Amino acid sequence: CSEYQKALKSEDIAVKFKLGEDLYNEGKFAKANRLFAQIVPSYRGKPQAEKLMYLYSNSFYQMKDYYVAGYQFERFASSYPSSEKLEEASFFSAKSYYMLSPVYSKDQKETKDAIEKLQEFINLFPDSQYAEEANKLVQELDFKLEKKAFEIAKQYKEIAPGYTKDFNAAIKSFDNFLFDFPGSSLREDAMFYKLDAMYQQAMNSVEYKNTIQEGLLYLKKDRLENAKEFSNTFKKTFTNSKYIETVNEMSGTIEEELQNYSTKS
Amino acid sequence: QELEYSNGKKYILGDISVSGNTSFSEQTIITYSGLRKGKEMTIPGEDISNAIKKLWNSKLFNDIEVYITKIEGDVAYLQIRLSDLPQLNELKINGVKKGKKESIIKEAKLNKGVKVTENLITTTKNFLTRKYKKDGFINTKVHINTIEVKDSIETARVNMVLNIDKGEKVKIKNIVFNGNEVLNDKKLRKAMKNTKKINRLRILKRSKFIDSAYQADLGHLIDKYKENGYRDARIISDSVIINNDKTISLKIDVNEGELYTFGDITFIGNTVYTNEQLSRLLRIRKGDTYNGIELQKRIADNSKPDAFDITNQYQNNGYLFSSINPVEVSADNNVIDIEIRISEGKPAYFNSVSVVGNDKTNDHVVYREIRTRPGQLYSKANVVRTVRELGQLGFFDAQEISPNFINPNPNEGTIDMEYAVKETGSSQIELQGGYGGGGFIGTLGLSFNNFSIKDIFKKDAYKPIPMGDGQKLALRLQASRFYQTYSFSFSEPWLGGKRPVQFSTSLSHTKQFLYNPSTRNADKSRSFNITGITFGLAKRLSVPDDYFTLSQAVSFQRYDLNNYNTGLFTFGDGYSNNLSYTIGLSRNNTSVDPIYPTAGSSFGVTAKLSIPYSLFNGVDYDQLSEDYDDALVRRANATSTADREYIEANKQITEIDQERYKWLEFYKINFKGDWYTQLAKDLVLRPSVEFGFLGAYNNARGVIPFERFFVGGDGLGNYSLDGRESIQLRGYPNQSLSNQDGGTIYNKFSLELRYPVTLKASAKIYALGFLEGGASYDNFRDYNPFNIKRSAGLGIRIFMPAFGLLGIDFGHGFDPLPGETVKHGWETHFIIGQQF
Repeated sequence: CSEYQKALKSEDIAVKFKLGEDLYNEGKFAKANRLFAQIVPSYRGKPQAEKLMYLYSNSFYQMKDYYVAGYQFERFASSYPSSEKLEEASFFSAKSYYMLSPVYSKDQKETKDAIEKLQEFINLFPDSQYAEEANKLVQELDFKLEKKAFEIAKQYKEIAPGYTKDFNAAIKSFDNFLFDFPGSSLREDAMFYKLDAMYQQAMNSVEYKNTIQEGLLYLKKDRLENAKEFSNTFKKTFTNSKYIETVNEMSGTIEEELQNYSTKS
Repeated sequence: QELEYSNGKKYILGDISVSGNTSFSEQTIITYSGLRKGKEMTIPGEDISNAIKKLWNSKLFNDIEVYITKIEGDVAYLQIRLSDLPQLNELKINGVKKGKKESIIKEAKLNKGVKVTENLITTTKNFLTRKYKKDGFINTKVHINTIEVKDSIETARVNMVLNIDKGEKVKIKNIVFNGNEVLNDKKLRKAMKNTKKINRLRILKRSKFIDSAYQADLGHLIDKYKENGYRDARIISDSVIINNDKTISLKIDVNEGELYTFGDITFIGNTVYTNEQLSRLLRIRKGDTYNGIELQKRIADNSKPDAFDITNQYQNNGYLFSSINPVEVSADNNVIDIEIRISEGKPAYFNSVSVVGNDKTNDHVVYREIRTRPGQLYSKANVVRTVRELGQLGFFDAQEISPNFINPNPNEGTIDMEYAVKETGSSQIELQGGYGGGGFIGTLGLSFNNFSIKDIFKKDAYKPIPMGDGQKLALRLQASRFYQTYSFSFSEPWLGGKRPVQFSTSLSHTKQFLYNPSTRNADKSRSFNITGITFGLAKRLSVPDDYFTLSQAVSFQRYDLNNYNTGLFTFGDGYSNNLSYTIGLSRNNTSVDPIYPTAGSSFGVTAKLSIPYSLFNGVDYDQLSEDYDDALVRRANATSTADREYIEANKQITEIDQERYKWLEFYKINFKGDWYTQLAKDLVLRPSVEFGFLGAYNNARGVIPFERFFVGGDGLGNYSLDGRESIQLRGYPNQSLSNQDGGTIYNKFSLELRYPVTLKASAKIYALGFLEGGASYDNFRDYNPFNIKRSAGLGIRIFMPAFGLLGIDFGHGFDPLPGETVKHGWETHFIIGQQF
C-alpha cells in the first residue's frame, strides 16, 4: 500500500491535506485533486480552507478541467474577497473561460462569456501584473468574433454566383461587419469583398424589376452607381491596398457599363 | 405594546421568550425565526415581519405573533407567541376500494406527518369531488372529519376520516333538443364532441357525464350554428334530468335565430395587393351563408402553418408587421357587411441572421443551408423551410430547432433572426460478433456523419474525432472464417464549398474462400475476390422545383475467381468486370425529422448502365449463343461426367461464359416512392412503391447473373457478393422469394402505419404496423404486378444517436414460399441500420 493509497483511506484530514499539498508541489495535480476533493467539506469555515480552496481550484486548472476551474476560482474570489490570492484567482477564473472558447467557426457563447469575465477583471484590477495578458486575451477573443462574422459574410459571397444568386446577403453582412467592428484588422478585406459582391451583383443584374414592396426598381443602373461610389470610397481609404489594381479594373468596367446609360439619355 | 409602523426606532434585542402551544424547544424556534440577542434592529420593521415569515414558511406553526414585552432604554425584549400545527396521525378512507386508497393518499399527498391546515382539508375535498365527477360520478360527496389525538406525546396530532360517497355512475340516456328546426337532432348531437348518449356500437367515446366537457360542448353547439349562418343562435336553457335508472337526460332549448348571409366585403388599407387578389384568397362571395369561423380561417388559419390565407400571403412576402382584422360594419336585414381592415406596415428585411448552439458543427455547414439571409425580404415560408432543412442535416435535434425573432423594428422594417440548434450525436459505432452463416462473424463498423477531413491531422480536433464539416465517413470491416469484407466510404455535401454538389466515393474489397458446409472448413487456396470503387456526384436542382436532386456515379467492380466453383458461375477460374454509369433523379420534401417524417414524400428513379460493348466489339453473340445451347445439349446427352464428350462440352460452356461475362453488359432501372401523411396527431401513414428491372442490350448475350433482385426478409444488404439487391419483404425468410439466381424484375407495395412512443433526442422510438406485398420475376413475360406474396405484421424501431436505428419486426406471410403449399406464417426480423 503506497503512501497515497493510505492517505486516501485515512480518516485524518490533516494527513490528506499535507500529502495533497506535497503532491501539488511536485506537480501531481490529479492525485492532489482527489485528496483535496475528499477534505473540502470538512475544512469549510476553518482558517486553512482559504489555502485549500486555492490549491483545489488551481489543481483543476492544471488538469485542464477549465469548466470546473473557472467555477472554483470564481467561488474562491467571492468567498475570500480579502485574500491575497484574490487577484490571481480572479484572473485564472477569467482565463479558464478563455481556455473554453472554441474555434471561431462554432458557437461563441464561451468566447463572449470569457470577454465579459476578462473585462471585469481588467476593470477591477487595472494595475495588475496580469492586466497586460488579460488585455491580450480579450483582443484575441475579439478577433475571433470578427473572424466569425467575416467568414460568414465571405461565404455568402462565395455561394452567391453558383447557388443562391443572393449577393445582397454578402453586401448586407459585410455592412453589418463594418458597423460592428469599426477597428477590425480585416476591414480592408471586408471592404474589398463587399465591393466585389456589389460589382458582381451589378454586372449580373437585369435592367429593372417590378416588386410588390418597392415598386419599379432600375436594378442595374442603381447597382452600378452604388458600386462605383463604393469603389471610390475604397480607393480613398486604402490608397496602397494590395487590391488596388483589381479595384481599378472593376471601376473601369463599371464606367464602361455606365456609359450606356449616359449616351441613351 | 402598540407601535406605529412608520416611526420605527432602532433597538438592540434583549432576551427573546417563546410562549404558546408548542412542542418545539424555545431555542429551536428562536433560531428558526432568525432573531438574535444583541442584534440591532428597527421595531417595528422588516426584521420582525421577516421573522414571522420564516416561521410561517417552516409550515410547522399557526397563529404566529411577536410582541414587545418591555423596553429598557434602547434594549427591546420580545416574545414570540405561536402554536403548533397538528400533524396527521391516522387516515381512514371510507367508501372506496382498498386498492384506490393508496392512490388517493399519493395524489392528495396525505402522508402521515403532514401538517393539517384548513387549506389542506378544503383542497383535498375539492380534489376528490372533482376527480370522481370526471369519471362520471356526478353525485359524489366528500366529507372530511378530523379528530384530535389526546395522548402522552406532546406534538399535536389529529386523525382524519375521509368519507367518500361516489353515488352511482351516471350515464347519459338521452339528449333532447328543443327549438331546433334548421339543424336536426343528429347533427347537433354530433357537434357535441364529448357528451354522448348511450350507444352500444360506439366504442371510442363513453357516454358518461362530465360537467366541464358538457359546458364546452354547449359552446361547440353554438359554433355549429355559427358555421351555418345562424349567428344569433343561443342556448336558452339547459337542464339535467335525473332518471330513476342511474341515468340522466339532457334537455337543451335552443333559439336558432335567423339565417345571416355575407353582404359586401371590402378591404381597407391594402396597397400591396389589389381587392381582386385578396378576394380570390378569401373565396367568400356576397350572398354566401354567413360563417364566421370560415372567415377567420381564410384570414388566418392557425391550424395550418402553410395555409393559403391572407395572413400568409402577407407574411410570405415580407410583411412581418402586417395585421388583418375583419370588422362587421352592418348587419341590416340579416346581411352582414364586412370590412377587412389591413395594416400592412413596412416590409421587413432581415438584418442579421445568426445560429447559436452549434458546438460541434462549423458555421459554414449551417449557414449555407439557411434560406433567410441578411438583406432578404422576410418570408415565413423560408423560415419554415430552413427549420426543416437544418433538421434534415441530421446534426441537430430536429425537434428542437427554434427560429427566434430578435429586435423587431417596425419603423425601420428590420428583423434579426436567430436559429437556436442543439447538437445531437451523429456518429455511430457498430461492433458485433455473432454466430451465423456457419461460423463466427465479427463486424466493426464506424460511421461518422459530421466528419471533418481537413482536421484529420490536427491533434486538438480529436474530441474524440474531428467533427463539424458535415462530411460522412464510414468504415466497415467484417470477417468470418470464410470471408472478409472491407469497405470505406466518404462523402462531402458541398464539393468546393460553392454549390450544393455532393461528392461521394467508396471503396470495397471482399475476399471469400470456398466453404464446405459439411466440414465447416474454408479452403484458402480457392477464392473469389471482389474489388470495387465508385465515384459519384449529386447536384441539387432548381427546376422543376428545388427539392430535386440529380445524381451521377461511375463505378467499377472486378470479380476474380481462383479455382472457385459454385452455382453462380460456370467457370471456376476467370474474371469479370463491371463498369457502369448510374444516373438518378430524386425528389425529397419529407419533413421535419429525418428519423420520423410526418409529411412530404420522397421518390427517386435511377438507371444503371454499362457500355453496350456488343455493338462494336465484333463478337458474334448469336453464334456464341447457338454454340452454348449446342454444348448444353451435348453435355446433357453425355453418359457420365467422366465422359470425354461431357468434359469437352463443359469446357466450351465455361469458355463461352467467360467470353460473355468478361465485361458485364446490362441496364437496370429502379423506381422507389414513399409518401408520409399525418392521419391524426403524430400517427403517420407511409405508403410506398418500388419497382426494378434488369435488362440486356443484346438478347443473345443474355441477362447477366449479377446485379439481380432478391426479394424477402429484412432487406439488409450485409452479405452482397455480386451487386445483388436485397429487397425487404417482411414475413418471409431473407431472399427466399426469388430463385437462387435472383429475379430480373420485381415490384413491391407496402403500407406502414407508425406511431411514436417518444421523439426525444436521446432516443426516438416508434411502433409500426405494416401490410406489404411484392415478388420478383425471372423475365418480363412472367411479370404480373398482382401476383405477389403478401404479409402483415408489427414492429418497433429505436433510434439512438450512438447506435443508429435498431428494430424488430414480426411479420406474418400469407403466401407459401416457392415450392411449398402452405402459407409461411410468422417470421421475426431484426433490423440494424437505417432503411432507405
